[in-house]
Amino acid sequence: HHIRMISEGSCDTEDWRNDLGNPQLRIFRPTFNLTLVRPGKEQPPDTVQFRIPLEMTKFDVRNYLEKIYSVPVAAVRTRIQYCTNKKRNHLNQRVKRPDYKVAYVQLAQQQTFQFPDIFPEKDQKHEEGSVEEMQEKFMEDERQRQKSDPRRGGVTEWFGL
Amino acid sequence: MSAAVASRLTAVCRQFQRVVTVSSHTQTQYATRAFSTFHSCQQSRMYDSWCFRSPMNNRAVHTSCVRKGLEEFFDLPENWGEQTVKSGAPWTAKQLRVKSNEDLHKLWYVFLKEKNMLLTLEQETKRQRLPMPSPERLKKVERSMKRLDTVVEEREDSLRLLQTGQERGRPGEWRRNVFGKTFWYRFREHPIPWYLNSRYKRRRFFEPSHVAPYTRLSLEKYLRSKIRKEKREKRNQKSLAAMFPKKTALASDH
Repeated sequence: HHIRMISEGSCDTEDWRNDLGNPQLRIFRPTFNLTLVRPGKEQPPDTVQFRIPLEMTKFDVRNYLEKIYSVPVAAVRTRIQYCTNKKRNHLNQRVKRPDYKVAYVQLAQQQTFQFPDIFPEKDQKHEEGSVEEMQEKFMEDERQRQKSDPRRGGVTEWFGL
Repeated sequence: MSAAVASRLTAVCRQFQRVVTVSSHTQTQYATRAFSTFHSCQQSRMYDSWCFRSPMNNRAVHTSCVRKGLEEFFDLPENWGEQTVKSGAPWTAKQLRVKSNEDLHKLWYVFLKEKNMLLTLEQETKRQRLPMPSPERLKKVERSMKRLDTVVEEREDSLRLLQTGQERGRPGEWRRNVFGKTFWYRFREHPIPWYLNSRYKRRRFFEPSHVAPYTRLSLEKYLRSKIRKEKREKRNQKSLAAMFPKKTALASDH
């Protein structure tokens, strides 16, 4: 069975009739969480990669993205990643890494998506008199103390005098 | 009135938070309610208000809603690369009980999107082998969602009790399993009756005769441990009373 999300806009009674097939399960507050991940292998520009719970289907992913995030979805393909049960802990018990499902979503309307760089280098300017400023100053002083005398011209301390 | 309307609008569409730079005093009042943990920081992100992102953190106004929707899987761009991102206290059940059903429904989706964003961030930090900025946000969101669930369940329970008198939404009954233990069996939906269900008929909801003595023994064990616990408590209280008699307390007062 696939699940249709009920979001703020679509409480129309027309949506609820299903003349063919089994009754479709509708839930009010979905507990599914989608994680957008950076693709390990190079993907086409319109493909977005998600990690989804094992119980979700392709139809669920489509409805989720369209209703909650209003993202136009053309196609969804899924696979289940089996993770190892071979690793052992300090008690020599086997530790299972949990399995997960990966969904490759292709966007409609010729949209593209590039996974952004979320950790750009930033020049941290702490405000005057704050704790971080003092810590930074302290670390700077420590580093300065560890450095050898620049007048020795790179010669190590091993050589006396 | 307009401020109330504005706050309602911002409540309706979380995307408005990226757009509306409402600098009215009432909006900031709403954003910095007393139960936020960061009283001193004016520019903190408030978890316990409608606007997850305080209006003062917004960039220049752009008049369209968030484009493509996939941007909502990531934080505001000015928070990328920060070591810590400030956030307020999680919602409490008391605060959530005040809200109407529509508001709770919308808030659920706000929490859901925030959780998705945080999970995306967590996965990316693991990938890049960097520390996640402010991981306590995840716990806050999870707790808020749990509390929202509790409140909705409370409302459903009370409605059902009033309308039908049923205590539980899902029917069930007390049954005894093969090990002699009594448990609450919850019914499932089947397209066929139980006497045509071969897998169900293999399940035994009675204890075999050779298990019956052990039920009595386990009951005796449980009663023994209960009585021992009560006796231990009484003994402790008695020894404490012997160590600290009431007379000395009264004597020291005078």
